[in-house]
Amino acid sequence: MSAPTIPNLLSLRGSSRGSGRSSGRGRGGSSASSLSASGPGHDATIQATDTDAAVSRLSAVEMGYLQDPFASLFVQPAPPGPSNRRLPIINRGTYTRTTAIDAIVNHFLASTPNQRRQIVSLGAGTDTRALRLFSSNTYTNIAYHEIDFPAITQRKLHSVRASQHLRTVLTVTTPPLTPPPSSWTAASATSATNTLHCHGIDLRLLPAAGILPSLDPSLPTLLISECCLCYLAPAAASAVVAYFTSRLPRLGLVLYEPVKPNDPFGRMMVSNLAARRIEMPTLDVFLLPADQERRLQQAGFDIVRHMTIDKVWEKWVATEEKERVDGLEGLDEVEEWLLLAGHYIVAWGWRGDGFELPGT
Amino acid sequence: MSDLDKAIAQLRACRPIPEAQVRELCHKARELLIEEGNVVTVTAPVTICGDIHGQFHDLMELFRVGGDVPDTNYLFMGDFVDRGFYSLESFLLLLCLKVRYPDRMTLIRGNHESRQITTVYGFYDECLRKYGSANVWRYCCDVFDYLALGAIVLGASNNMSPNPDSSETESDQDVEIEVCNADGQIMTQFSRKPRGRGGRGRSPNGATASATSNGIGPAVPGGPINSGPPGSGASGYSGGSVGNPAGAVLCVHGGLSPLIDTVDKIRLLDRKQEVPHEGAMCDLLWSDPDEIDGWGLSPRGAGFLFGADIVRVFNHRNDLSLIARAHQLVMEGFKEMFSASIVTVWSAPNYCYRCGNVAALLELSEDDSGLGIFARSNGDVGRSDGNGGNGPRGVLMENDPSEPKSGPARRYRVFQAAPQDSRGMPAKKPVADYFL
Repeated sequence: MSAPTIPNLLSLRGSSRGSGRSSGRGRGGSSASSLSASGPGHDATIQATDTDAAVSRLSAVEMGYLQDPFASLFVQPAPPGPSNRRLPIINRGTYTRTTAIDAIVNHFLASTPNQRRQIVSLGAGTDTRALRLFSSNTYTNIAYHEIDFPAITQRKLHSVRASQHLRTVLTVTTPPLTPPPSSWTAASATSATNTLHCHGIDLRLLPAAGILPSLDPSLPTLLISECCLCYLAPAAASAVVAYFTSRLPRLGLVLYEPVKPNDPFGRMMVSNLAARRIEMPTLDVFLLPADQERRLQQAGFDIVRHMTIDKVWEKWVATEEKERVDGLEGLDEVEEWLLLAGHYIVAWGWRGDGFELPGT
Repeated sequence: MSDLDKAIAQLRACRPIPEAQVRELCHKARELLIEEGNVVTVTAPVTICGDIHGQFHDLMELFRVGGDVPDTNYLFMGDFVDRGFYSLESFLLLLCLKVRYPDRMTLIRGNHESRQITTVYGFYDECLRKYGSANVWRYCCDVFDYLALGAIVLGASNNMSPNPDSSETESDQDVEIEVCNADGQIMTQFSRKPRGRGGRGRSPNGATASATSNGIGPAVPGGPINSGPPGSGASGYSGGSVGNPAGAVLCVHGGLSPLIDTVDKIRLLDRKQEVPHEGAMCDLLWSDPDEIDGWGLSPRGAGFLFGADIVRVFNHRNDLSLIARAHQLVMEGFKEMFSASIVTVWSAPNYCYRCGNVAALLELSEDDSGLGIFARSNGDVGRSDGNGGNGPRGVLMENDPSEPKSGPARRYRVFQAAPQDSRGMPAKKPVADYFL
């Protein structure tokens, strides 16, 4: 219990934001120099946020918040001792964000029956949404695309191949190669019209790349960024969105990101994340929920909506379900919940005929 | 140096004391606490503190800002443990100080002083980590069962005591609320206004919002509805100790209960048990004031929400000028509600190393006007409550409309989170979870 160098909370408050703005660090940079400034170290930090999310997901599943038989497949077993259990407030957050995006995905799929449709998940990491969709068999005719760093998609392929459980859900259609490819495809084992396409590509390089294999620009498509684009420099994030808006006429986008970095809670959030070397460059540009709506409008989406996570919990989770979830652990952290959940937003927009996303 | 003083010195350095010593300490503390009533009587001057939540370094900052023990008389309103990394050191230090200076330290129970809650929110895990067994957690939980449920502060002055750190030598007789920063510099002052001049609602942090006409009794004829100071019966505002210049202050962790209409009913509870899931004892530790009429369901799943009307009636019936409570994070450290009839005090800055809030403590000074005699009769053990202003105090009030003052003078000291490496103490790098 000796004290090495502990960051001074008070001094962190001021300085980290300044450096965040000027260095252009993040998952991407708008120029070559900022790319090199971010370096592989920072990419690894951002990739590690996926592990954080996977551990949170498993915690929420183990406590009964969410049902996800695949959550444990992507998390290293916890060492003996204190487990990976998260506090109730984090579990409820994981539950609510997952519920929000699931609801939007389901709305999209329900509005496009009897036709092929696409979902594109940016920075999907070890996300299990495709696996859950495929195994539930509620919807068919889905081409599910995941885009992430090659190292991540390779690891995912390894996990899929190594898991007996996953082999009952997915049939990998890419032949086994050495070294394993970073881009690979699979089909649902129960419904061959549901296909998974993993693209191992750094999102910063996507705008310069051609059309992704198997991506059909004519299909209604839902783009998901679950805490992903916020790690990119603003210009790089817009370029990724523009990559899709310039090619796909029938497109929806759902974003899940932090907001309000400038109030006392937000400043502490930015400083705490900076202490973990996590920076969210777009947070400086899209400060408030209204800025996120404007961002979607400017990207060319005709109808845009947003809700903060506390509002999603309040409005989208049915009373009985709230009682069930509250009954799992109890949540004493009411004020903290409103603060934390009020600093995350789900924003979505869409354009084009033949499909829709929900209202608030 | 006694063993106790050694333990205090060790804990002040944020180093846990051996298990055997914890056992002995908890045993002594229980012997002391068992003698206390459910509602402890405390005499001003006193410094009232809210949630600590194991933020040891911030507790040290609190002592720096509020004065050290035993120089300052402290009342902690519970939630010593959970959430922060140093619940053990924080609680044991407070407990040592309680045993060492029993009359200078008052500890009342918070909803986190419970076996069930501490297994979810960190204290259990912390004890297990630091001692390798749950013994220390068990000793502490046994102490929790003996903590008082509330306190009544008597003899608090209506006049602001001189601020030792301020250059002003004379205290302003009209100052009702003073807000100081951690260095003692006055940031804001709020004066009392004579009745009938529309002066209420100047309190910082939300008092204005609650100055409503909701269910409140007859106003001074011709005067604005929210004109009276709290406790002036003529305006119908809360703070029943009308005309009593130094009314009693009830301190409780959460708030009121629909099962409790007098302070004496709190005294009748059997408190020496784990916090129940429902009932009066549970409500006192779990409830929250809210902008509603009457009672409401709590989003916490325990306790209730209660509105301004409930506080007004309770304070009037019990001759209270103020309820001080903790339990809810408030970003500014304190928040007065319902025409200053109830205040939330929060003493964990940057709560959970994440919330970015400041903390506060509330100082009530000693009344030396002599009028405090009336007050001292107010909350005394054994005094029959519940005759709601029919007694001589009510008469005094009605016959003395020139007395505009009510509610104690309140000095809030606001402070920020302590830099964790500032005192050469062991400190764990704070890692706050977010939704990544």
